Amino acid sequence: MRCLSESWIRLAIVLFLAQAVSGCLSLQIEKTQEGVDILPPLAEFMPMRTTLDEILAYYGAPAEVVDMHGDFALHYRRALSRGASLSIGFPLKYTFLPNPSIKTNGDLLRYDTTVFIFAADGVLKDMKYSKGTERSLWEDYWN
Amino acid sequence: MNRTRLVIGMLLVAAICSGCAVFGRGKNFVPFDESALKQVTPGKTGASEVTQLFGPPNRIVKLSNGNAYVYERSVGKGTGLWLLVLTFVNYDTQYDRIVFFINNDGGVTHFGSSFNSEKASYAMPF
Repeated sequence: MRCLSESWIRLAIVLFLAQAVSGCLSLQIEKTQEGVDILPPLAEFMPMRTTLDEILAYYGAPAEVVDMHGDFALHYRRALSRGASLSIGFPLKYTFLPNPSIKTNGDLLRYDTTVFIFAADGVLKDMKYSKGTERSLWEDYWN
Repeated sequence: MNRTRLVIGMLLVAAICSGCAVFGRGKNFVPFDESALKQVTPGKTGASEVTQLFGPPNRIVKLSNGNAYVYERSVGKGTGLWLLVLTFVNYDTQYDRIVFFINNDGGVTHFGSSFNSEKASYAMPF
C-alpha cells in the first residue's frame, strides 16, 4: 500500500513539474500536405507516341496548365511540408523585466512532381518525374 | 490516506486535462457537379455547354490552339493537439479539379478530372 502511494506521489510530481515548465519549454511538430500522391509515369508513356488523352485518363486533371508559346505543359504536384519549433524561455516577467528566451524553428517544403510537355496537337514531347518527399529530410534541410 | 489519494487524483486529472485538441475544416467551394461530366463528349460538346453545366471556370489558360477551362475546389482539414510541452499540428488539403481543353472553334477536344477532396483527413503529423 505504501509503495502504491509513493508511486502515485512520484507520478504527480513528474506531471506537475511537466506542467510547471510547460510555459518555459515547448516543442511543436507540424505537417502540411497539399494534394494526393503523384504516381510515377507508366513505362508505356513515350514521347512522340503518347497523347494528351492517355495522360488525362491516367492522371486526371492537373494542378496547372501552362502555355509554353506553342507547346503546353501539364503539371501534377503534391506539396509536403514538415516543420518543428523548439522554444525555451524563463517567464520572469513578473519578477524582473527581462524575459530571456530562445526559440528555434525550421521547416522544409518538398514536392512530388510530374510534368508533361505536349506539342500543340496534343502529342507528348517530354516528361519529367521527381519524388522529392522520398529524399532524406535531414540532408535536404541542411544542404 | 484516502484523502491524500483523492487530492492527488484530482490534481492528476487537472494536470492531464490541461492539454487540448482542435479540429478544423475549411472549404474553398465551387458548385460543380461531378455527374454532369457524363454530358460532355469531346468533339461534340461546346465551350458554352461547359459553362452552362459547370458555371464560370476558376481559371482560363490561353493556349496556342485554344483555351483550357480550369475548375477547382478544395477541402482542408486541420488537427491540433497540445499536450503540456508538446504540440502536434497537421493540415491536409485536397482538391477536386476538372480541366477542359477547348479549341479555337469553341469545341471541347479533351477533358480530365480528379476528385480527391473527400480524401482530406484529420491526422497527426507522423
